[in-house]
Amino acid sequence: MKLSDGVMGKTYLVVRVEVAERITRRLEALGINEGIPVLVMNRKKNGTVIIKVRGTWLALGTKIASGIEVKEAAE
Amino acid sequence: MSEQVITVGFVGNPNCGKTTLFNAYTGANLKVANWPGVTVERMEGAAYYKGHKLRLIDLPGIYSLTSYSIEERVARKCIMEEEIDVIVNIVDASSLERNLYLTMQLLEFRKPVVLALNMMDIVQERGMEIDTHRLPEMLGGIPVVPVSARKRMGLDVLLHAVVHHYEEGPHEKVVTYTKGIEAKLEKVEKALADRYGEVSNPRWVAIKLLEQDEEIGKLYPLDLPDVLDKSYEKRIINEKYAYIEEVVDECLFNRESAAASTEKADRYLTHRIFGIPIFLGILAVVFFLTFTVGDFLKGYFEMGLEWFSGSLMNVLGGIGVSDWLISLVVDGIVAGVGGILTFLPNIVILFLALAFLEDSGYMARVAYVMNEVMGSVGLSGKAFLPMILGFGCTVPAIMASRGLENEKDRRRTMMVTPFMSCSARLPIYVLFAHIFFGKYAMIAAYSLYVIGVLVAILVAKIANKLYPLPEENALLIELPAYKMPNPHTVFIYVWEKVKDYLTKAGTVIFVVSIFLWFLLNYNLHGPAEDVSVSFGAYLGRILVPLLKPAGLGMWQIAVALLCGLSAKEVVVSSCAVLFAVSNINSSAGMAELGAALGAGGFGPVNAYAFLVFCLLYTPCAAAIGTIQRESHSWKFTVKQVLFQLALAWAAAVLVFQAGSLIFG
Repeated sequence: MKLSDGVMGKTYLVVRVEVAERITRRLEALGINEGIPVLVMNRKKNGTVIIKVRGTWLALGTKIASGIEVKEAAE
Repeated sequence: MSEQVITVGFVGNPNCGKTTLFNAYTGANLKVANWPGVTVERMEGAAYYKGHKLRLIDLPGIYSLTSYSIEERVARKCIMEEEIDVIVNIVDASSLERNLYLTMQLLEFRKPVVLALNMMDIVQERGMEIDTHRLPEMLGGIPVVPVSARKRMGLDVLLHAVVHHYEEGPHEKVVTYTKGIEAKLEKVEKALADRYGEVSNPRWVAIKLLEQDEEIGKLYPLDLPDVLDKSYEKRIINEKYAYIEEVVDECLFNRESAAASTEKADRYLTHRIFGIPIFLGILAVVFFLTFTVGDFLKGYFEMGLEWFSGSLMNVLGGIGVSDWLISLVVDGIVAGVGGILTFLPNIVILFLALAFLEDSGYMARVAYVMNEVMGSVGLSGKAFLPMILGFGCTVPAIMASRGLENEKDRRRTMMVTPFMSCSARLPIYVLFAHIFFGKYAMIAAYSLYVIGVLVAILVAKIANKLYPLPEENALLIELPAYKMPNPHTVFIYVWEKVKDYLTKAGTVIFVVSIFLWFLLNYNLHGPAEDVSVSFGAYLGRILVPLLKPAGLGMWQIAVALLCGLSAKEVVVSSCAVLFAVSNINSSAGMAELGAALGAGGFGPVNAYAFLVFCLLYTPCAAAIGTIQRESHSWKFTVKQVLFQLALAWAAAVLVFQAGSLIFG
């Protein structure tokens, strides 16, 4: 599933990042890589989200959030 | 005395306070140039510490040391090519985890690194603690110095560490990767040594080769297909972060409790439904403060100015200064510059409120909250703020576009912001609406604000259709934890903006005021007896045919509009001078001006076309200067001015022609 479809308050694991090159690099430097847990803090209807990753809160637009493939983390 | 010069590179993430710290050392003693071959600014300065001369270089703000962006390549090259003796890594202590990622990479260079822990005050305000003894232990024994660039604390300690550490030489290895990676690194390092002899930082080069870094791959090609079989970049990043997690666990305390309150607040402030109304509510309060309290104080400023220009005239007259000089000083400089200064209370209050929102951490959320609304016209969520500020004054509004991440968004925002009706335009609306629209004056004035917003939206929409910006809805912004704003930080923020504003009043507006005064008081034969035979009047008459289709074919109107380029409110004072009306805001004065205009066939339709023109045409010289400074491009600036003039003209023509058809 895509991060943009995430449910508020749930933690997901990053599977794949497929966004524009420049943004991929930026996300990488922020430590958003395969296997990293991402907590969805807030989400708007269209998929713009606020996530918490590695102790940092990030707001991501739909375009980026939908380019991040995630799976549900085992409880 | 040591004659040796130590070259120190300042490296850090964007917005970590790097440049502020750099400036604290170098002051105005700066050499600003571009890095060779690119348009990234390079700043260099000097500092002295106990007989050592230090050459300080401010490297571009970066998040990592890959070769994907110009900034990163520039920084990397500078450090790699032995130019830098000591790296000062400035770290925003309030977001230690993310900042340490760059630190980990810098440490791999095996050059002396000194860690400057900036923004410790914020860490304390948030109730967090950093163990500054354990931290250096975990970073290979490099010196860790808490500093405050803003409060100028720890500056000498940092230089001491730089000099000391320089003499001491490099530190030990910090991040040890998992066995697989380490084994590969060992093989690559060995191959490097075999093929290239002594490489100054073999481990770093080996890591980059494992990451399949393009530049390093070209510099040190190796034939090791079984070792360098694929990019290990992601694994290396993850392992660095794993180590950072260890560091943070050991050295940073109370992080969760600080986070909990922010997360609680964000449940409301960034709520998908309440978020927007809360933001609009906050805006309403900011506006209320700016315009009611600001205008209240502005009244006193105006009284002060009147008193000042009156007594200045008496004093100058008393000591026998010639009339032309008195006129230059009082009508030209004091009226022009002083008129701008009276807006100071509004500006100070506006920026106090903004500084409060910014420093509390709320401002970053606005981009998230407004993202969709702005995105629908192709603007970034962050562009909302500059546009709102535009109601106050275009100059700080354009300055606020600095907060946007990329140049294209920034320019698009600069393009639409001037259409937001600034407070300097209000006096024009009030005057003309009262003269021509009687009891509908308020509605007429209000309608102009609405037209301004509509034009801004329309322009943004059309621009987005013609030149769509890539990566639509590519919002990517870090949200800091909420905190109580720091009075000192707020003060600095406001002061910087006020200083900018005052500098402008003292330079651009000063010069323009003198120039306009000259235009209106002189002609080819020297001093003009009357405005109607001045340079300004000649110029105005040239413009009359052009303005005629817009119903503005009077030379006085043309001159007033021309003068309005120095500052919009000057349109009002120019009308007073041009039509020789003594007290233009009194009802007698208005009647007089109305009669004078009416005699030239200037009716309500002309007046509305005039107001629309005033709304849309180039705000003022200060705004032009600001657009140039913020865009770093004269070409862009000139284009904007021409666009604004053309749009204003077209809109005024439309209003006048349509209005004449309907009412004429």
